[in-house]
Amino acid sequence: MLARCPNCRETFSTDRTGLQDCPHCRKPLVVPGAAPEAPPQQPSFVPPQAGGPEPGGGGTPWERRDRLGAFEAWKQTVWQALFEPGKLFESARLDRGPAQLGFAVLTGGVFSIIGQLLERALFAGQREQVMKMIESVQREGAKVPPFIQKMLTQSAESSWAQTILIALLAPAFVFILVYLNAAVTHGFALLLGQARRGFPATFAAATYSLAPLVLLVIPGCGSLAALIWIIVLTGVGLKITHGIGSGGAAAVALAPYLILCCGGCAVAIAAGAAFSRMGGG
Amino acid sequence: MKATVHELGLAGAALSLLVAAAVLPLDAPPLSWMACPLKAATGLPCLFCGCTHAFHHAVRGEMAAAFGASPLGALLAIGSALLVIWTALRLLGMPAPRLPQVAAPRRLRLLVALGLAANWAWLAARP
Repeated sequence: MLARCPNCRETFSTDRTGLQDCPHCRKPLVVPGAAPEAPPQQPSFVPPQAGGPEPGGGGTPWERRDRLGAFEAWKQTVWQALFEPGKLFESARLDRGPAQLGFAVLTGGVFSIIGQLLERALFAGQREQVMKMIESVQREGAKVPPFIQKMLTQSAESSWAQTILIALLAPAFVFILVYLNAAVTHGFALLLGQARRGFPATFAAATYSLAPLVLLVIPGCGSLAALIWIIVLTGVGLKITHGIGSGGAAAVALAPYLILCCGGCAVAIAAGAAFSRMGGG
Repeated sequence: MKATVHELGLAGAALSLLVAAAVLPLDAPPLSWMACPLKAATGLPCLFCGCTHAFHHAVRGEMAAAFGASPLGALLAIGSALLVIWTALRLLGMPAPRLPQVAAPRRLRLLVALGLAANWAWLAARP
């Protein structure tokens, strides 16, 4: 008989019914027995019962951008991610990894560039102010961690050319961070027994939850607001794409940030410093 | 046999970690600036303390030093290298099986959790 996989939409031939893996994407699915009234050769599938309804209706607006137009699709996707995340993640298709990656790199890359340029333009004076504060604190005998001092010095001394170079490399770093974030999140999902639909489900949640990076255009507090919103959206996304409970989704979304806190700090410092060194080259 | 976009992406991320560990010196910025906030605040290491040193030694083939710095970090570095090699083999059309679907039965998850705890105990106990 023929069956169609709900994950990758590929049709395949099988000689048995019941629970089995798709030969194309290797996701589990259930092939039902042929009902008497149903045509015997009709392609059919039943998604696995565990984990609730399978996401992946018609695709998110971004996954339908060939019909909607790229900008309209991007705009609708960001809107849904920010204000109707349930609708967005329910429509996300797990076989559209490249499109999801494109959305994350485009959104993260473009708004990181804008954010860095705005910060450079608007907060150059504030950095000098912070340096003066540190100097006065040190004169009074208090200790300031050397790496913070060095980072601020480096930051204050960076030129426009350095800033632009750093900004242009942002999409490459977003690409790497998207996969590192998805891999770590999926690792915790596996460890906590919440990974019901494989890496593509985690990846869909991790990519669309980067939509709040548009807030980087808000100088100052935009990055903090974006980070908090990203964590919340990741939890919502994992809940829907994996079909898990709210508690499990929250634990998976928060665990990397709690346990890898210093790792995250280290990566941020390394990336910033590496950029600065390259720019100063 | 072609690699999927996720296989390529994960391999790219792993390769970037290995290249960074190979290129950036430990005793100069930016790596020398790194400090664990948890350790600074409490004196106790975090679960992933020592991973930077472990990657640094692992990419230079100094496996004893890598495991001494962080067993978890050393295993992650080895895993990253294997993933890069495996993806390269697939891209070159050489026979390499697809990544197995990772199943995580309760016993395996418990084992991994115990491994992470042992790694942390090692980091906390070493001088």
